[in-house]
Amino acid sequence: MAAETTTAILAAPSATTAEITPLPAFSPDLYQRAWASIPHPSLPLIATCHAHSVTVFSLSTLSKHSVLTGGHTRSVRSAAWQPPRGKVSGKEAKRLRLVTGSFDTTAGVWTWDQGRREERLEREIRLQSGEDNKEAEEEEEAEDEWELTLVLEGHENEVKSVNYSPSGQYLATCSRDKSVWIWEDVGNPNPSSEEEEEEEDEDEWETVAVLQEHDGDVKAVAWCPDVPGRKGKYAPPRRYGDDVLASASYDNTVRLWREDGDGEWVCVAVLEGHEGTVWGVAWEGRPRENDKFPRLLSWGADEVIRVWSLKEPEEEEHGEGAAGGGNNTWGFGVPNTMRRSLKEEWECTAVLPKVHKGDIYSVAWSTETGLLASVGSDGVLALYQETANTTEKNEENETNGEAPTTTSAGGWKVLTTVKGAHGPYEINHITWCKRYDAGSERKGEEEMLVTTGDDGVVRPWQVRIQ
Amino acid sequence: MAKSDLDNANPTVLSVSQLPSRNLAKGHVRKGPDSKYDHILFPKQWWAGSSLNTDPSVWTSDEDEDDDLTLATEEPIDEQEIYGENYDPSSCTYLLSTISDPEHPVTLGQIAVVRLDDIHLSPSPAERLDPNTLTNVEVDLTPTVNHCSLATVIGLAVRVRLENALPPNYRIIVRMKDGSHAQDDQVNKQLGDKERVAAALENDTLKGIIEKMLETCV
Repeated sequence: MAAETTTAILAAPSATTAEITPLPAFSPDLYQRAWASIPHPSLPLIATCHAHSVTVFSLSTLSKHSVLTGGHTRSVRSAAWQPPRGKVSGKEAKRLRLVTGSFDTTAGVWTWDQGRREERLEREIRLQSGEDNKEAEEEEEAEDEWELTLVLEGHENEVKSVNYSPSGQYLATCSRDKSVWIWEDVGNPNPSSEEEEEEEDEDEWETVAVLQEHDGDVKAVAWCPDVPGRKGKYAPPRRYGDDVLASASYDNTVRLWREDGDGEWVCVAVLEGHEGTVWGVAWEGRPRENDKFPRLLSWGADEVIRVWSLKEPEEEEHGEGAAGGGNNTWGFGVPNTMRRSLKEEWECTAVLPKVHKGDIYSVAWSTETGLLASVGSDGVLALYQETANTTEKNEENETNGEAPTTTSAGGWKVLTTVKGAHGPYEINHITWCKRYDAGSERKGEEEMLVTTGDDGVVRPWQVRIQ
Repeated sequence: MAKSDLDNANPTVLSVSQLPSRNLAKGHVRKGPDSKYDHILFPKQWWAGSSLNTDPSVWTSDEDEDDDLTLATEEPIDEQEIYGENYDPSSCTYLLSTISDPEHPVTLGQIAVVRLDDIHLSPSPAERLDPNTLTNVEVDLTPTVNHCSLATVIGLAVRVRLENALPPNYRIIVRMKDGSHAQDDQVNKQLGDKERVAAALENDTLKGIIEKMLETCV
């Protein structure tokens, strides 16, 4: 399975060389299609969905940490870690929570109570040195340590994707039933260390919205991260809540959703341009200069990756927004009749150079370096870099009809590609995550890529940029 | 199968374990506890229950070769093998033409839903120097009725059959032949959607229908 690596050297403006080399795959091998691997936001853990279960791997040992089984009757397609909520401390901080989305139409909320297993956790966090072989047996009994604490029911068909809002307040789920559901976590919202003893296991979720504007399966949902630009001076007038949800669909569109002043979730933009199923969306997690609003990526069956940017608001609108800036929610009540004008204007500002031949299933945008990595049915892993702010347009863009028209459009270059990254198999998912394994020179800081394939292999990749 | 059978000169009764793998590189064979569709179709690997060609002369013994071998002496899979040329219902050498129609007691080959001329491999077998080259198998189906509601089911059965029978470097594209079906686009899009196909195969009713259609293949 020698992966064939080619290194491309970038011409000016920034001559960058990138090298991607495979690291040993996570063990054990899953021997069956795995759909996605989701890294924990702060701990050295990554959760891989395959068949009816999820296997959690340790990023320090690159081996199995625990397994979530028995909660779903059909394949688990996606998973999301609960982000840390506010200033958590004590037991709350030691509790792991994972939400799974399954083809069995439900989403499962799973809890791992670290309190009783401090040692195990510490072992994982301790960037271990490699003499833990005898603990392999203990791993087996770890399988029942995850508890399915709540089942979210409501979708009529397969749940395809689940995602937590940055604060952890909301969870979005989407399904083949063409709907997006937004759930609010209303259980024990302010865990104080005193009451915790009895209340820590209380789970309560409310459905706050059922969004049904897509004309086809909703393939993926993604919340805009809490970066400065989300509320920056270029953010739209504050008639909406801070959270922004993007959804990708079989109907070839991407939709953006926000909560208006009346507490209603509304579609604020429809992004059209893809000529096939949109497999996914990803937000820019790296703060932009001048706190510009984060951009959005979308990719799909048309083998194209698009970058979308919010059109900066007109001056007067902008002024209004600034006036409302002191308001910590969404400013003014707006009559229904005016809603139409509240649509946000998004435009496709870049189309990445075409690499893939076949569906693009996943793209990851690094919050550290801003590099993009994509994978798809052709088994190719591609790495891209944005060229310095320039008005020069991508040549590939021009053939696409939807060529970027504004000067804010940046160009993107392919840094390198790896063919056959999972041998002859399709690759379903790619993500950036931090390295904690023994081979890393800067544990907890160095970034690596992790790909997940139809071969059941979850493989980390070292990325060297010069 | 009993040991004595292993020496049988008749190639059609070769035991499963004796059939050389047509899989392209051993390193890519993935045997696991829960392989994707095995429970639907074959309890064994594809080359066992559904050998593409029973003529032993085309097989090379790869038993002793290295993992990174290239089976240069092996003939690449061609359109005839996928279709199942020389239709012979008593043999189990056919990939597609022997699939049953979901409604009638005939095979897809008999009613020309699957036609040899509508199966295309790219790159063509002759061009494939490296056996790991990703190869597209395009199958255009011709449903018998314009509004055939079962077009999707037939397409799904064809896709499942090929996914299980072909090595992992094959990418399968199943479509309705232009103009043969009223909702071509929807059906084609559905059949090309990996996630939908995977979910459909977890639906017991659908799985039952497809299982039945594929019974005549084994």
